[in-house]
Amino acid sequence: MKTALSAMALALTATAVVAEDTVTIEFAYPYSHLFDVTYEAMMPAFKEAHPNIDVKFRATYESYEDGTNTILREAVSGNLPDVTMQGLNRQQILVDKGIAKSLEPFIAKETDFAKDGYHDAMLSLSTFGENVHGLPFSVSLPVGYYNMDLLKEAGVETLPTTWDEVIGMCETMKANGIDNPIFWGWNITGNWFMQALMWSQDKAIVENGVVTLDSPEALAAMEQMQKIFTKCEMQNLEWKAALSSFSAGEIGMIFWSTSALGAVERSQGEFELKTGPFPGMDETPKGLPAGGNAAMLTSASDDPKVQEAAWTWLKFITSGEGAAEVAKTTGYMPPNKAANEVILADFYDQNPNKQTAVDQLPLLRDWLAYPGDNGLAITQVIYDGIERIVTGDAADMKELQQDMVEEVADLMPNG
Amino acid sequence: MPAIEPSLPVAKTKAVAGHAAKERRAAWVLTAPALTLMVIVLLAPVIIAGLLSFTNYSLGNSGFDWVGTRNYEKLFTRATYEKMFLATLTYVVTVVPVSVGLGLGTALLINSLGRFREIYKTIYFLPVMATLLAMAIAWEFMLHPSIGMVNRTLEMGCGTFLEQIWPFMADGCADRFPVWLGDKRYAIWVICFIGVWQGFGFNMVLYLAGLTSVHRELYHAAEMDGAKSAWERFRLVTWPALGPTTVFVVTITCIRAFQVFDTIEAFWPQGGGPNKSTYVMMFAIFEKGIQQNLIGVGSAITMLFLAFVMFLTLIQRWLVERKVHYK
Repeated sequence: MKTALSAMALALTATAVVAEDTVTIEFAYPYSHLFDVTYEAMMPAFKEAHPNIDVKFRATYESYEDGTNTILREAVSGNLPDVTMQGLNRQQILVDKGIAKSLEPFIAKETDFAKDGYHDAMLSLSTFGENVHGLPFSVSLPVGYYNMDLLKEAGVETLPTTWDEVIGMCETMKANGIDNPIFWGWNITGNWFMQALMWSQDKAIVENGVVTLDSPEALAAMEQMQKIFTKCEMQNLEWKAALSSFSAGEIGMIFWSTSALGAVERSQGEFELKTGPFPGMDETPKGLPAGGNAAMLTSASDDPKVQEAAWTWLKFITSGEGAAEVAKTTGYMPPNKAANEVILADFYDQNPNKQTAVDQLPLLRDWLAYPGDNGLAITQVIYDGIERIVTGDAADMKELQQDMVEEVADLMPNG
Repeated sequence: MPAIEPSLPVAKTKAVAGHAAKERRAAWVLTAPALTLMVIVLLAPVIIAGLLSFTNYSLGNSGFDWVGTRNYEKLFTRATYEKMFLATLTYVVTVVPVSVGLGLGTALLINSLGRFREIYKTIYFLPVMATLLAMAIAWEFMLHPSIGMVNRTLEMGCGTFLEQIWPFMADGCADRFPVWLGDKRYAIWVICFIGVWQGFGFNMVLYLAGLTSVHRELYHAAEMDGAKSAWERFRLVTWPALGPTTVFVVTITCIRAFQVFDTIEAFWPQGGGPNKSTYVMMFAIFEKGIQQNLIGVGSAITMLFLAFVMFLTLIQRWLVERKVHYK
């Protein structure tokens, strides 16, 4: 009897120990069509290295905006995930509201953090007020995708370096019976392409907490867009429809984030695909906004084991083999020196299309967030404004600029 | 003896009163769960939303300021919201009559059939059963400007006589067929079409049910009184007899039309259609309140939405009480 009891007690403690050993952390990320394959590829190695950490994936976010909102809602209702992937331009708001935790205490405990490939230029994308709040996971830059078969059919041999050349190509292609020469990704998340044209002229869209839509550079950007849209007779396609049209070989060239490269290659029809650097306005761009997302620690748990597990996961996906998977499965670049230079050394030679964005890395600038609670609403105002250019609803760019400036001013804090 | 007599009814009333009070208490106890639930689930959120509509609360903030009626003023002065009302009204004014009319038409046709009734009923009812969101994705594929089924089918008409008699066809063949979801001239009509396609089967079923309650004798009587043509019989018997059904169908369709959201969210997750041409109220609530965290403005649109639906319901009550019933 006594032995039976003690055996039971032993069994109980044993199960308790096992249960204590497995730590479950919850994790959520955006854009399942891009990243599902990446995490699938990472998981076996992670499971092997850390068998006692169970990563529970939550439903994916539809977009960066959706991701930020979901986190804000979850912060109010008290069921935050432990780690979340947030758009680089949406980190600020989570830091301001105190939802994303500073990573400094964890970094301080790491002995060879720099050796793991984390370097300052990349970390600066997630540094707020001297403190690192996120580890960049994937970085993208805008590039041009070209259907070389269609281009050759139209008699174009060289890739363009300025938008005027792009317009010229459109006209040649049109004359040679290609109906749908271009898709220019104005509707990409977070006004990214508007910011790309602004950075091309070395102008930030937000300076000292003020949106610079009233600047001559903004007007030049809008006029440039109008020229592209009207002279190329660009159709107003939804971006998913545009990507599928391009994959089907119907569109000559698209300008979009390098991030979609993996997805496009997977669904690509029979044609030669080439990527090229993002064209500039009259000259090559002086800067381009960094797209992509960063891993942030949002765990509300006080349990050091959970926090430690969350940090382990964060580190795993942003360094070494984990980070290398990002480049292998998507068109993103892993913002990690070690992954880029050691593990991926031959990778870019074999995948020249993915090299394009890497070549543009010196141009990397911040993807800026608009200030205040109305940040997302301001994004929408600019989106709506550009849409009016695409649909031809607005013909006078000065007038449109004025409208947009007024609407944005109305949404600014203290405005 | 006489002293006791008056006390008897008193005791009786007392007993009755006691009994009634007990019954009343029991009634309250029995309805309490339902009442509490109603207050918690329905009334409290409405009241809270009403209060929030006078604030500038943004999700994640610890506090908020009272801004008076500023949110409502915005609703009636900004161009964006003007587009919202326009889109909502266009949708409701198109979808309600068309889907009620089609519902009645198919119900009458099916009712006149001897055979295959069930097959037709099923065919028309299928879109109602399907999830609109899933159907929207299917429509999105079909409406794709270059590889979608709709434009591919239209292209087959090129070079045939259709080009001569249909200017739309000639234009499409000469240049290209419309980008259905990216063109502000077509977007709202595409949404209306899908709304009708999805909704009229439900109205048909309601009308079929209504038709079973029309007595055969009435038709015989009408015929004896000289209503020979089918139209006369419809006008004199069927339509009045369907009065209560029609009131119900119209109200339900109106409310459902105000609620349109799935298709718009599926087609244009950002922006509410080309140039906000399909920026309906439900989507505006979602965009402001959920996507942009601006709970204040979102609540104000919600209150307005509630007012519209309330107004419709009141009209329905009034019509029902005016006895549209055919007795």
